[in-house]
Amino acid sequence: MTTQGPVAARGAAVQGRAAAPDADAVPPEASPVRRRAPIGRLLRAEVRWIFRRPRTLAVLGLLVLLPVITGVAVDLTLDGATAAPVDAGPGGAPGAGGGPPIFVTMATSAFVLPLGSLMTLLMLLLPLTVAMAAGDALAGEQSHGALRGWLLAPVSRGRLLLVKTVGVLVVALVAAGLVVTSGLVTGFLLAGTDGLVSMSGTELSVGGVLWRLAVAVAWATIYLMAVGAVALAISASTEHPMLVVVGVLGGLIVSVVLMQIPALDWLHPYLLPSSLTSLVDLIRDPVSFDGLVEGAFRAVCYLVIGLSVAYARLTTRDG
Amino acid sequence: MTAARAGAAVPEARNGSGTALAARTRGLRKVYRGTVAVDGVDLEVPEGAVVGMLGPNGSGKTTTIRMLLGLVEPTEGEIELLGMPMPRSADRVLPHVGALVEGPGFHPFLSGRENLQRLAAAEPLLSGRELDGAVSAALERVGLADAARRKYRAYSLGMKQRLGLASALLVPRRLVVLDEPTNGLDPAGTQEVRRIIAELQANGVTVLVSSHLLAEVEATCTHVVVLNQGVVVAQGALDDLLESGSPTLFVSTPDGASAVDALRDHRIPARLAPDGVRVDITTTAPATVIETLVRAGARVDEARRERAGLEDAFARLTHDVGELVGELDPDEPELVR
Repeated sequence: MTTQGPVAARGAAVQGRAAAPDADAVPPEASPVRRRAPIGRLLRAEVRWIFRRPRTLAVLGLLVLLPVITGVAVDLTLDGATAAPVDAGPGGAPGAGGGPPIFVTMATSAFVLPLGSLMTLLMLLLPLTVAMAAGDALAGEQSHGALRGWLLAPVSRGRLLLVKTVGVLVVALVAAGLVVTSGLVTGFLLAGTDGLVSMSGTELSVGGVLWRLAVAVAWATIYLMAVGAVALAISASTEHPMLVVVGVLGGLIVSVVLMQIPALDWLHPYLLPSSLTSLVDLIRDPVSFDGLVEGAFRAVCYLVIGLSVAYARLTTRDG
Repeated sequence: MTAARAGAAVPEARNGSGTALAARTRGLRKVYRGTVAVDGVDLEVPEGAVVGMLGPNGSGKTTTIRMLLGLVEPTEGEIELLGMPMPRSADRVLPHVGALVEGPGFHPFLSGRENLQRLAAAEPLLSGRELDGAVSAALERVGLADAARRKYRAYSLGMKQRLGLASALLVPRRLVVLDEPTNGLDPAGTQEVRRIIAELQANGVTVLVSSHLLAEVEATCTHVVVLNQGVVVAQGALDDLLESGSPTLFVSTPDGASAVDALRDHRIPARLAPDGVRVDITTTAPATVIETLVRAGARVDEARRERAGLEDAFARLTHDVGELVGELDPDEPELVR
């Protein structure tokens, strides 16, 4: 039933058009060459996007505020009743960083306030921040249909994961850095350079405090990246960013519960939050690095496993 | 309808040279958890053509497009895009392909311009200096220049769709794939999409556009692929597809009902139409039809051959037209097959 005539004519017309490309058309005979968008440009676009997101800004603002609130509250309490033992640290986590004797005397110092805040916030709020960023990075983008735009550009899935991981790393670093900076500034304003004393009783120079805090931020970033890698693995497997946050926080809470059970002490070295207590070692003089190194090693294990799973999920998932 | 069956019309284009097809699939199949979404699709998109992909919702249009673009791994089958295998050559091919798939995907808290800048940053063919210019040009082209600074959240459905179109046009492309580009657009917006498609074609760009709007495809496309339930039921040049339908004779008569009865008595397929009858003249000569009518005493005022519209062709090709009721004229009498 088909007449071949019109087809041939139509085909010829099409050929004719294609053979005479206009100025802004790519010559059809040019064979496509492998080209990629520079990675720096992708990273810049990613970081800009992260810090334009309202909820990122909200949670970062909260992280800046909490050490200030803690410092002011403790300061007022100390002024009121110097003798009363005070639980320091935002959220008042007992035992998170030494006992009352230290915190009573130097809770508002420019050394203990930032470190105490960091230790307390590392339990839930900082992991939450990182999990949120990781959830938005893949699952959130996917649910908006925005991930497709980059996949079609194209950005290979390996590079996509690299960019997203760096994005989460930036959030972890900025979040930990903000907490410590905010605590440090608040401490200086409230107590000046008073109370810069180690748990071992030695006086610390401002420089000694600063490098200890820098180590604390770096260590916290590694710890948070372990959380972030697991979050990215979940994020690569779902379209619901909320699921990522719930999964990560749920995992951390379960880990902490398991750590309370002595019968499971063989399991404790494998649980990520086991590392948290080692941050206290930075208050000692000289600093004992054993626990910090072990914690960093544990975090790197989580990081490698998390990113491997994320890569496997991302490369096999439908875009 | 076997005449327009897959491939019948296109070998002409393929015989020309190896690069004459902008996209081609062989035995493409996709199974989602036991559900066959696409089955044995042999798609051929001639270079320089505007190919309309037509089918009811759930007929496999979007799945086919997603596989073409390497977003989804096919269960079986081969894909060639711009002469290179997909998804293996995605990094070489995709920079030359613009696509709007499954509606626009943007971030609500960024402005239209910022959203496009984010996408432009990932375009391999744009150098750093060209980014801003390319974004402005794309916004201008889809008529969003004035709304570029507004948050995407505040955009209307039509503006969102335009922004999606702009992202496909950031770079001069060799192939542009548009999935339901006129969704949510008002008539003026629809006209604009048609204009953009015509412009692309004039520049030698191949366009693959999926739609469930028949008129849309009829107005803009040179070629048509009809999908139904994951299978290609027809593809080829639009003109051929329209020709390939059973030829029809429209007989204007005031005695419609008795005319249909008389024709059916003589085993001539016919159906009632407003002001007359439509007669299938695939196996019967028009003269015989008129003779039969006159003998049966029906008054014949006028008789003329009709070229079937795409709507008729489509209804013929897809048995299940339930999905398209909205697009089909509800007064249209049922087709006699």
